[in-house]
Amino acid sequence: MEGNIEALVGPLSLVGYGLGAIGPGIGIGIVAGNAITAMARQPEMQGTIRTTMFLGIALTEALALIGFVLFFIASAG
Amino acid sequence: MAQVILAASECDVVNEVICAPANVNELFEFPTIFTIGGFEVTRTIILMFLAAFVAVGILYFGLRKQQLVPTKFGAAVEGMVGFVRDGIARDVIGPEGTKYLPYLMAMFFFLLVGNLFEVTPLINFPITSRMAIPAFLALVTYVIFMFVGFARNNFRYLLDTIWPKAVPIGLRWLVGLIELFSIFILRPITLAVRLFANMVAGHLMLTLLLTSGVIFVAAIPEIGVKGTIGVFWFGLGLFMFLLEILIGVLQAYIFTLLTAIYIESSIHFEH
Repeated sequence: MEGNIEALVGPLSLVGYGLGAIGPGIGIGIVAGNAITAMARQPEMQGTIRTTMFLGIALTEALALIGFVLFFIASAG
Repeated sequence: MAQVILAASECDVVNEVICAPANVNELFEFPTIFTIGGFEVTRTIILMFLAAFVAVGILYFGLRKQQLVPTKFGAAVEGMVGFVRDGIARDVIGPEGTKYLPYLMAMFFFLLVGNLFEVTPLINFPITSRMAIPAFLALVTYVIFMFVGFARNNFRYLLDTIWPKAVPIGLRWLVGLIELFSIFILRPITLAVRLFANMVAGHLMLTLLLTSGVIFVAAIPEIGVKGTIGVFWFGLGLFMFLLEILIGVLQAYIFTLLTAIYIESSIHFEH
């Protein structure tokens, strides 16, 4: 095992995905939190806000999901 | 089913706390059932046609007879069709969204059925977790919004993307570069990967949790108290099962919504 870089590829890609999930996690929290604030303030705008919230979440989440796919690519290669 | 995934004999219940397959690919690849003219038909392809037929069937039988007071099924289908028409096509694209409604409607229902195959008993496989299907749908969306963009704005679509007039002149090259990369390359890729990765993650999680639960509980006579961890895995799996229903519907909605938004941004290009 000494000096075997290959053995580290799987665990390292796991750590990489973990790091990559931090940013989108914070981002989705901000999006959803602000959407709730906006809905509480103006319940009559609920429909529009919900659509925009899902859009924001989808765009933010893409980063985490790209990390998820890259995790499998990296740990398989 | 076609093959035994995560066979109990492969799972080392004495030393492990959860059953993991040696290679996740085997959860998504099925053996060829038969061959038609060089095309190898697997379970995924059969399920894809089934999803298409189910989607068409829902729309046909739901909307076949237009009654003053629709049946319960008819009312439900009308509600979904109205949701796509008003909530997605008209809300996002505007009055001319009706023109793109057939595409959006077909895609929404196909993806809805395909995603919900994940939680359908006896099927338990989301066809959208094979990259080919989301990639092809994203490609069709890409062709449509590119075509609309160039048809409506001629070559200003490309030129104004690279050289945006609304931005101060010193920053135009930078914004142009980012926009070019984002619109022409990143959009279709993220559209496909979002759906694909969500479904892969869901399918993996459900398979691991539910099969681990069953295997560990079945092994209680051999390994004693440790086997009760299976109850926890199974409970968690059931919770994820409910969550996956939500995610399946949400991802079909988001894919359709983003398609509509991309088409809209090609029509009303001048921001």
